[in-house]
Amino acid sequence: MRSGRAFLVASLVLLLTDASFSLRAEEPKPALAQSEVLPAAETAHIVAIGGAVTEILYALGLGERIVAVDTSSTYPPQALGTKPNVGYMRALSPEGVLAVGPSIILAQEGSGPPDAVTVLKSASVPFETVPDARTPEQVVANIRHLAALAGVKARGEELAQAVERDFATLAAFRARIASPRSAAFILSASGAAPVAGGRNTSADALFALAGVTNALSTMSGYKPAVDEALMAAEPYALIVMDNRNHGLTNEALAAMPAFAGTTAAKAGRIHRVDGAYMLGFGPRTPQAARDLMAMVYPELNLPALPAHAWTAGSRAEPDSEPPAAPAAAPAGSGQPG
Amino acid sequence: MQPAGVKEVQARGVRRGALGLAVCAVLLVLAMLASLAIGPVTIAPARVMEVLLAALQGERAAGVREAIVVLDIRLPRTLLGLLVGMALALGGALMQGIFRNPLADPGLIGVSNGAAFAAVGWIVLGHHAVDALPAGLAALAGTAGLPFAAFIGALLATVALYLIATRDGRTSVATMLFAGIAIGALSGAGTGVMVFLASDQQLRDFTFWSFGSLGGSTFAKVWAAAPFVVLLLLAALPLARALDAIALGEAEAFHVGVNVQRTKRIAIAAVAAAVGAAVAMAGVIGFIGLVVPHLVRLALGPGHRVLLPASALLGGALLLGADVVARTLVSPAELPLGVVTAMMGAPFFLGLLLRRRAALGG
Amino acid sequence: MPHLLNSYRAENITLRAGGRLLLDGAGVTVAPGRVSVLIGPNGAGKSTLLKVLSGELRPSGGQVRLGEEAVSRLGPALLARRRAVLPQSVEVAFPFTVAEVVAIGRPAGRGGHEAVSRALGRVEMAERAGEAYQRLSGGEKQRVQLARTLVQLEAGAERGGGPGYLLLDEPTASLDLAQQMLVLRLMRTLAAEGVGVLAVLHDLNLAVLAADEIVALEAGRVVARGTPHEVMTDARIGALYKVPARIGWAPEALPFLLPHGLVGDGAKR
Repeated sequence: MRSGRAFLVASLVLLLTDASFSLRAEEPKPALAQSEVLPAAETAHIVAIGGAVTEILYALGLGERIVAVDTSSTYPPQALGTKPNVGYMRALSPEGVLAVGPSIILAQEGSGPPDAVTVLKSASVPFETVPDARTPEQVVANIRHLAALAGVKARGEELAQAVERDFATLAAFRARIASPRSAAFILSASGAAPVAGGRNTSADALFALAGVTNALSTMSGYKPAVDEALMAAEPYALIVMDNRNHGLTNEALAAMPAFAGTTAAKAGRIHRVDGAYMLGFGPRTPQAARDLMAMVYPELNLPALPAHAWTAGSRAEPDSEPPAAPAAAPAGSGQPG
Repeated sequence: MQPAGVKEVQARGVRRGALGLAVCAVLLVLAMLASLAIGPVTIAPARVMEVLLAALQGERAAGVREAIVVLDIRLPRTLLGLLVGMALALGGALMQGIFRNPLADPGLIGVSNGAAFAAVGWIVLGHHAVDALPAGLAALAGTAGLPFAAFIGALLATVALYLIATRDGRTSVATMLFAGIAIGALSGAGTGVMVFLASDQQLRDFTFWSFGSLGGSTFAKVWAAAPFVVLLLLAALPLARALDAIALGEAEAFHVGVNVQRTKRIAIAAVAAAVGAAVAMAGVIGFIGLVVPHLVRLALGPGHRVLLPASALLGGALLLGADVVARTLVSPAELPLGVVTAMMGAPFFLGLLLRRRAALGG
Repeated sequence: MPHLLNSYRAENITLRAGGRLLLDGAGVTVAPGRVSVLIGPNGAGKSTLLKVLSGELRPSGGQVRLGEEAVSRLGPALLARRRAVLPQSVEVAFPFTVAEVVAIGRPAGRGGHEAVSRALGRVEMAERAGEAYQRLSGGEKQRVQLARTLVQLEAGAERGGGPGYLLLDEPTASLDLAQQMLVLRLMRTLAAEGVGVLAVLHDLNLAVLAADEIVALEAGRVVARGTPHEVMTDARIGALYKVPARIGWAPEALPFLLPHGLVGDGAKR
């Protein structure tokens, strides 16, 4: 019983710190000035920690040099599929990370625990962090920074400009929205109060990119929402993170008290999305935002963004719900922009 | 010799008990009304009554938002809160009686630990089970899987404790207490393993679950929990005299004609099922089971004939009150219900302990 | 030794617990209208025998009968109708009043204020009915518990249990002299009303005052049994308690015990 209590307290602390992370992440980051280029020997064996970091490194063509990744590095599939896993980014074990023999550790902001990071930083292996991105500028800055650290500045510039172009196209799409619609981002709906995304969340940032209003912007962070408050917020669409929700069907979702009264549920506007793709804020983010926009504004008949090597296989809506309209066709399916 | 003394003492007790029960019942009705009338969506109480009365006559304006909020969201939530509060408080009163310890709570018989372990197991690993099921069952498992797993976990933990503590048909509550600590540690370790395996989302799901919530209440949940709580009420109320006698000690209770082993079996089984169902539907909600019987004993005396029904009524009232706070304080977000009950219960309980310490001259 | 069908008796009881033989063929008979007293040194098995008799402990061998029935076959409720038990001391877990504790002796557990006040009157606690049991002194608690057994016996008699039997485990342990006399008087009065009484007593002088029959236990066996005159001899008591003892006889022909000074091995007070 005692250990149970201790655990609960620990999780509460974790949630609180989580929230503070998201608060901090909101502030604009200074462009990373220290673009010192490390000697090639130092970047031969990279440990990549954080989904966006891994994605960027693969997009830079550095997949070969990665010796280990963390659990959140779900894209591209070969990352976790072929590389050793050093555990979850917020619960790193210094010894486990050092055991894979890294020459540099590239980590996303929020990697931890802080003590583990301190140990790693003192282990004479360069430990570099990039901020959590919530804006196109930060995504592109992260690409340039990581490319510089890895000594592939030119390739980095190429990738950064490609992503910038995609963001520009996205901005043009956004301009076509006549009257913005609102949506609610549902992180999980396990049967109790649904956990939804408020202000200062990656979901809120993605909504902004997609020209979608967050129906729950009156709360902050990912929080359980009161059923009737969610209903009263009248989201036009429900964006549900598909976290293998244990066979929870759309019918079951639509029957939950929070959703049953919404027009979104009645009109079948429930969309399940891949969390890593939608909330990752890496090089695929323009595509993710465009896919979200296509879900909420199907009448715009948005074309797909150009496919790239680093967007291969990305799908907004996972297998369980095949896309109904051609407008919602997954990015990277080969259609030229 | 003053024969009138006893008569007077007894009459005073009966009057106090009747009055206390009436007050608890009124509090419960008020809490239910508050729970129906108060929420993030503002609806005038008069309009709430209108909607309810119309529904009672079988009329219902389909698609009207007020009707949806009152009838589909608040009504099942209120009923489920009533059941959960009753189960926790009555379960606490029964366990305190059986364990002869005013600090006992329903968690002592492993219900919460077992349920938490099973719940986190389901959250983290359940999708493997769902994948193996045929489509129809998988859909059912999607909605009912978590409460079902928690319920089974609660029962299994209690059965294990009971078997460990029972020898030759006699259940030692002392052994049960110690075995409970061991099983608690064990399921805590198991929970830790699951947490280790969990993703961010799963961790968040489990954390919010383990702090309790009445969010997502449906009539289906109400109907699923109701039989267990009704069974607990039916099983508990006739045990009043036996529990009074057990307060003297198990041997003494046997001397005055109480079948102590049978009483313990009934109480433990009924509490495990009802509290297991409550935890399954609403997660772990602390302090109701501990504080409510305490409050009642303080106000109305320790006699179980009043204590048991009054605890049930007051438990329902307090939980509904806490839930109103949980869903309005930070709306549109919702505070975990267990956090609210702990914030209300813990200071009260500390005050009680300090007062008692002062009384004992400690 | 009377062997009445109409009696409450334990026959040839053996009880093993934790590898130790606590009772080794012991037996005792409680007859209606008589007071029997169990004596013996500490650890002789007096309380254990009383617990076996009450049905609280199951013997490994031998049998306990109440009238013609085996006690093990009677359920707790039927048993409670015919015998009441006063344990050595009772702590109550919750703040019950004196009246509430006494009323627990009644099968319905409530009401019966006449019976409760009568019983409290008999132990001179009537005016304390509204007080919290937990705040009483040890002796007062003991008297309240005694009242509780009286209520139980009376309720049993009303429901066809006959005058019944009363088992008392060291009822005088925490009482002062006046209260000790009160309890002994009550035992005699109850016997006169037809109740069969069995008491474990440490104080041999009190045992002699109260008993119709004394049963002496040593190491789980009955070593002497008979009227106070028969059992209370210098030799028997000396052997039983391993102290030199001298039994004197007071003018009313009651024996009294004077230990041979406080010298010698294992002197007992």
